Amino acid sequence: MAGSGVAIDVKRLFHAYFPGTAMEVPSLKGVDLRIEREETIGIIGPAGSGKSTLLQHMNGLIRPRGAGYGDVVVLGLNLSDPSIDMRTVRQKVALLFQNPEDQLFERYVGDDIAFGPRNLGLSKAEVRERVQYAMDMVGLPFSFKDRITEDLSGGEKRRAALAGVLSMEPEVLVLDEPTAGIDPQGRRHLMEVLGKWLSRAGRSMVIVSHTMEDIAELADRVYVLVSGQVLLHGSTAEVFSSYGLLKKYGLGIPTAVEITRFLKKEGFEIPPGVVRVKQAVQSIQGILHGRKI
Amino acid sequence: MDKKLRKIVIAGVMGGISIFLGATRLGFIPYFSGASLTIMHVPVIIGAVLEGPIVGLATGFIFGIFSLIQAAIAPTGPADVWFVNPIVSILPRLFIGPVAWLVYRAVRNFREIPAFVGAGIAGSLTNTVLVLGVLGLYRYLPWKLIGTIAVANGLPEAVLSAVLTTAVIASWRRIETRRGGSSV
Amino acid sequence: MAGRSDFTVSIKLGIGQYVATNSFFHRIDPRVKIVIGVLLIGAAVSGNSLLGLGLIFFLIWCGLLVSRVQARLAFITLGKMLPYLVFLALIQIFTVPRFHESPNVLWQWRILIVTGQGLISGSLLILRFSVIMLGLSLFSYTTTTTQLLHGIEHLLRPLQRLRFPAHELALVVNISLRFIPILAEEAEKLMKAQASRGADFGIGRRMGFIKRMRRMFPLFIPLFVQSLKHAYRLVEAMEARCYTGGRGRTNLINLRAERRDYIALVVGIIIIGGLVTAGLFNIDAFVWRIFNTRV
Repeated sequence: MAGSGVAIDVKRLFHAYFPGTAMEVPSLKGVDLRIEREETIGIIGPAGSGKSTLLQHMNGLIRPRGAGYGDVVVLGLNLSDPSIDMRTVRQKVALLFQNPEDQLFERYVGDDIAFGPRNLGLSKAEVRERVQYAMDMVGLPFSFKDRITEDLSGGEKRRAALAGVLSMEPEVLVLDEPTAGIDPQGRRHLMEVLGKWLSRAGRSMVIVSHTMEDIAELADRVYVLVSGQVLLHGSTAEVFSSYGLLKKYGLGIPTAVEITRFLKKEGFEIPPGVVRVKQAVQSIQGILHGRKI
Repeated sequence: MDKKLRKIVIAGVMGGISIFLGATRLGFIPYFSGASLTIMHVPVIIGAVLEGPIVGLATGFIFGIFSLIQAAIAPTGPADVWFVNPIVSILPRLFIGPVAWLVYRAVRNFREIPAFVGAGIAGSLTNTVLVLGVLGLYRYLPWKLIGTIAVANGLPEAVLSAVLTTAVIASWRRIETRRGGSSV
Repeated sequence: MAGRSDFTVSIKLGIGQYVATNSFFHRIDPRVKIVIGVLLIGAAVSGNSLLGLGLIFFLIWCGLLVSRVQARLAFITLGKMLPYLVFLALIQIFTVPRFHESPNVLWQWRILIVTGQGLISGSLLILRFSVIMLGLSLFSYTTTTTQLLHGIEHLLRPLQRLRFPAHELALVVNISLRFIPILAEEAEKLMKAQASRGADFGIGRRMGFIKRMRRMFPLFIPLFVQSLKHAYRLVEAMEARCYTGGRGRTNLINLRAERRDYIALVVGIIIIGGLVTAGLFNIDAFVWRIFNTRV
């Protein structure tokens, strides 16, 4: 599943807020993380573990403070290098914050989605193309571009916000709690959009979420971040099988894993690596059919 | 919705914005070589246009007091030496809101958008003229220099205030400014 | 160090300069502090006595030391302002003579005249600023925002009887101060979200004015509009909790004046009154004459 090359490489990253003052708050204490191309990484961890800070390093909103604070290399560009063009980094790595619908600021939907491409200095025709492409990706009809942003429903707003970021045509999509606060149908739709986006070559994705089902469904590998350090990482199945460790830090596991765990305890045969709902359904159906025989 | 309570809250919120813009220096927009245009008076104008002259008065008062406190506790330049005097920092600012409101009401009979522009310009000029005027009367600065500052700094600041005021209120009141849809 | 675009909006100023050391000044009723503060500013701005101002300056200095608030920052800031103060004082020194009928010329070089009155005027300028600066700094080091807000509300209350909207004004100030951290958070979120989409606010860079304006607008307008939304939500929240105005409201925390507060008040008034009278009765000239005859 991993493609050619590394998209984002984080090495021994340290970060503190208000460094050198009486209010210094360390947030990252030596994080190592790697995202390959065509890979989706999930990052989970309890509140305050530094997830947001880590994400903000990925598109350069925060940069390593200096020597000894670690390195962040994004698509070949080292963020400690003062001469690199941050605009390029922000275009290639798109970061969508939590509750992005709160950040829509333009009067008309089309203008908000066009904000990114316009910042890239594209021509009017190119901007229009990008907006069309992005709206199509998220399933918003192009006619919505003239709607007043305020008047959209919550789900539509979130899609518009996502379109605003997809219109930059990034290579890496970084999402902070993408499904927080939306209804199941909205979530379903969003997952489809993300899957569709991922299917094109060369793209990677990073998801931070408390909804383990999202991670199970989309992520190839998972990092568990606790108190600014990587506690555990591995394939999705591996990480979610460390039930005890996750529970100790207040993290949950996907329902599918929970159920199959229980079934395994009761003596039923479940193949390894079941994390997704569909997989669990198949295993359970297998058991039921087996019984009939 | 209780009108009085709304006025109180808007005055408070606009006052907070004014303080915030001043404290973080986001409200100081660098102009030419060292000088900056300020927008801390714009919340006062907006408050006055939206909710009336008394709200403008209250917000102007808060703006004034804060500029005094900032000049005293965290001064950065010669202007702060003058601004610790409340007659320079507080008194002129009390007029920004009411004047802006008056102009707004007057032009509103004509059309809304120019009314916002007028209020923005009038409020900003009130700030410029009155503050500089007091400085002149105190003989802190020679009148010739004051005139230069008023034109070089005060006029662009008035334009900036007008644009910001109009953009904010038009957006808030959902008033169409130009086109009826996206420009995409 | 790699260039960092810093998106954390830190409030560098504020009454959050409070340092908790529980000195005498910390424990004075905030109402007394406010009254004295206002009187101090008024007197400093209008007082004409160098001696008086100098004495008050010295007293505030002592106050800063006594309250153990590590006022080094205040003194450093004052030091930084010194060049400006001297510069402005010089302007005063050289322009004042033109407005005096009988200048007492001390020194002259072409058109630059230095008179006694000019020197006094210049020195007064420096002292006035220093007194207010250190005084307000002492105030901010020893008073928390909450104390300040309580002080304002309690002070204004008696005015309610004179049909002055005291409660409303106190509430407005309260809301203003409380709203600032919310604004900081909103601004930070907006800046980060927009920066992630390639926006560049041009902070800390040399940039054409119109360009910079255009860059900052996508930040300012949503900030204002969202604040207005917050305002409306606050009104609804207050109404939902049966806020019906200031009439008949009681407070959970009531300020009670103690003996030390009255003492502080009286002492403060005496000192400031002293400054004013010294100016009125030209004590400076009096002391100067005594000094001269002695010698």
